Amino acid sequence: MARSAAVDLSRRRLIQALLATTAIPLLVSLPKDVDPNAIVEVGGWILKRGDLK
Amino acid sequence: MIFADFESFRASGATAKVCVIGSGPAGTTIARKLAAAGVPSVIFEAGGTEWSEDSQDFYRGKTVGDPYFDLDVTRLRFLGGCSNHWAGWCRVLDTHDFQPKAWVPDTGWPIGRADIEPYLEEVHDILELDAFRADVPISDDIRLVQLIKSPAVQFGEKFHDEIERSPLISLVLNTYVTELAGDGRRITGARIWSRDRDAGTFVADYYVPCTGGLENSRLLLWSNQQSNGAVVPNAAALGRYWMEHPQFLGGDAILSDYSIFPTDTTNEAFFSPSPAAMEARKIMNFGIRLIETPYGGVKQVIADLACVAPDFAEWAAYQLGQNLRCAAQLYVGWEQAPLASNFIRLSETDRDKVGVPRIELHWKKSDMERRTILEGLRLFGETLAARDIGRVRIADWLVNGEDYPTDQELAGHHHMGGTRMSDDPEKGVVDRNSKVHGVDNLFIGGSSVFATSGQCNPTTTITALACRLGEHLGGIAGA
Repeated sequence: MARSAAVDLSRRRLIQALLATTAIPLLVSLPKDVDPNAIVEVGGWILKRGDLK
Repeated sequence: MIFADFESFRASGATAKVCVIGSGPAGTTIARKLAAAGVPSVIFEAGGTEWSEDSQDFYRGKTVGDPYFDLDVTRLRFLGGCSNHWAGWCRVLDTHDFQPKAWVPDTGWPIGRADIEPYLEEVHDILELDAFRADVPISDDIRLVQLIKSPAVQFGEKFHDEIERSPLISLVLNTYVTELAGDGRRITGARIWSRDRDAGTFVADYYVPCTGGLENSRLLLWSNQQSNGAVVPNAAALGRYWMEHPQFLGGDAILSDYSIFPTDTTNEAFFSPSPAAMEARKIMNFGIRLIETPYGGVKQVIADLACVAPDFAEWAAYQLGQNLRCAAQLYVGWEQAPLASNFIRLSETDRDKVGVPRIELHWKKSDMERRTILEGLRLFGETLAARDIGRVRIADWLVNGEDYPTDQELAGHHHMGGTRMSDDPEKGVVDRNSKVHGVDNLFIGGSSVFATSGQCNPTTTITALACRLGEHLGGIAGA
């Protein structure tokens, strides 16, 4: 499926922002030196810690 | 040759060495294999050539436990059997599906995938399949697998003319085998009901019930009850270890690139766990069906949002005048642990109009299965996240430990077990050749012999097993 880079970029940022808002409680308690590639489960979402920054 | 009823068959003087009961994929395939070996057989089909309310009424029954389909709806009692409502999805049980899982009691078959592989080319001809594509690992845990969506062969229609011309196959319609008689070592005859009356007893050298994953148990339970255990002498497992493929919407997914997985013509892709992943998580096999919603541009963004922020997405979709769903839905179907506590028994109060007790199906999904779908979706989500190709959201009902949804498909209409295959007569009804333990001339065809079910649709494996049994029986009966 052909997609424009602009659509992909804005979509990715939008989704990341929304994912992060669902995980605010986790962010508050997140240690600073955690592995951004570690997998976490937040509200049913299977995410990477990097998604939450 | 095709006969409208038992009386016309008897009047024809046709003979048969093998009595096959049921004209679905297993029965038809076995009779064709016998004919290829030069062995005359008769197929008794309880129904006619078309669906009828009267015929379906014989299949009414009761389910105790989890919600399930009405038993007269989930199967079909006419020429071709359940192939008449088969969707045509094909895949063969995997090698590991035949092997025991050390962490789940009573799993594994006495035969292996290698025992049915010699018949797969023939199965491809019967079911009109292209070659299967090899599975594609997308991580150590998850594989992209193929389910071929075949033309859904209806056996009664496809093989009607061939059977009609065959001098070695007699297909007899409207002929209900109500019970088998036996002496503890052999089956001595089949009791026949045809055109609303008792038509006496039919005698053959061999008998092969192929009436489906519910009815095979009913026939043998009733026959055993009538003969004081002389039809299935080792009956500890008879009717037990019944299995389905439950399936539910288990979550949603957002993919970073919606072309990353090759989908089929209905925008679906299928995923299963590796054997190592099942072992590590101590779970059963499962299949994830990812259904992509074919949106583009802004619609795709809003569909993605439907996963993350459904209220906002609903507003945005309303502004666009669109009814958009989350971009990819994840349906999960799974392998049930074989449990003796899931069983078929004869009703003590309800009988069909001939007097045969109806089925009472006791069926309940287990905690192990609940863990299988939850861990399965986690495995899939972890794979997508680790490879940065998407994110998975597991459905609230699963995360929160709520009851199974009641507004979904429930299961696949796949009736398996009840006469399962095992070398141990305490754990199974048939041996590795599909012969009933302790009875010299009684064999069973169809998914009731499944020892464990894997996660895939059963018809391809049923047909392969039927080819194997037909060839085996052809060798014995033709000698």
